[in-house]
Amino acid sequence: MRFMVAIRANTTTEAGGPMPSTELLEAMGKFNEEMVKAGVMLSAEGLHPSSKGALVKFSGGKHRVIDGPFAEAKELIAGFWILQVKSKEEAIDWASRCPGGHGEVDHFGGEFDIEVRQVFEAEDFGAEFTPELRAQEERLRDQIAQKK
Amino acid sequence: MRFMMLMIPKGYEKAAPGTLPDPKAVAAMMKYNESLQKAGILLGLDGLHPPSAGARVSFSGGKPSVTDGPFAEAKEALGGYWMIQVRSREEAVEWASRCPASDNEVIEIRQVFEMSDFPSDTSAR
Repeated sequence: MRFMVAIRANTTTEAGGPMPSTELLEAMGKFNEEMVKAGVMLSAEGLHPSSKGALVKFSGGKHRVIDGPFAEAKELIAGFWILQVKSKEEAIDWASRCPGGHGEVDHFGGEFDIEVRQVFEAEDFGAEFTPELRAQEERLRDQIAQKK
Repeated sequence: MRFMMLMIPKGYEKAAPGTLPDPKAVAAMMKYNESLQKAGILLGLDGLHPPSAGARVSFSGGKPSVTDGPFAEAKEALGGYWMIQVRSREEAVEWASRCPASDNEVIEIRQVFEMSDFPSDTSAR
C-alpha cells in the first residue's frame, strides 16, 4: 500500500525562506537514501510557498481564480514523500524518523507536523469502477511510466 | 516547470474511512486525466483516502507524537493531486480551470521545487 507523508507548511515555508541549511539538506538526503535503500520511497517533492500559487474555486458551474498567498488555508503542505509500505504503522514509523524531529539538526525549531494519508489503489474501488475505467486507469499509468 | 494541482473536496475533512468518490465523478475525472496525458503534461496523480483513515505525527521538544485521524480542528482536507509539467503558472491555472470539479471544490496550484531553485551556497535557516 502507498502513503503520502506530507510535511505541513508553517510561517517559514510560507515566507519562502530562509531556505533549509546545508546540515538539514544533508540530513534529509541521508534519510531519503535510507528510505530508497529500504525500497519504500517512490518520490519526494517540495513545494514553493502559496504566494507563488493560485486557487481555482468551483461554484455554481463556474470557476474563479484567486492568487496566492492563501491566508485562509489552514491545511497547506510544504512537501511530501510517497512511500510504498506494508502498513499504516510502517508509514508512521518512517514519518516519526523525519530529520529535525529529534533535535539532532534544526528543522523549524523542532516544531512541525507530518500528515500520513493512504493513497487509493484500483482495488480499493468496488464494481462501480468498471473494467473499462480500470483499463483506462492502467493505460494512463503505463503511459506516465513510459514517459519517465 | 512542475506544478502540483491539489484537489480539496468540500467536506472531505469529515468523510468516514472507506468513503469512495462518486462513480460518475470518477468517470468524468478519468476523461480529464486522459486529456492531461494527451497534452503530454501529466507526470503523476493520486487520490487519497479520507484523513479519518490517516494519522498525524507532530514533533515538539524533540519527540514525535502520533494522533489518529479524523482531526476535529481541520477546516479542509486534501483529496488528491496531479503533478504536471507546464511552461507557466498561467498554463497550470488554465488546466485546473478545465477540471470537471464539483460545486464547492477547490484546486490549489503550487509550484514544485527543482534542484535549480536551491543556490549552491544555501544559507542557514
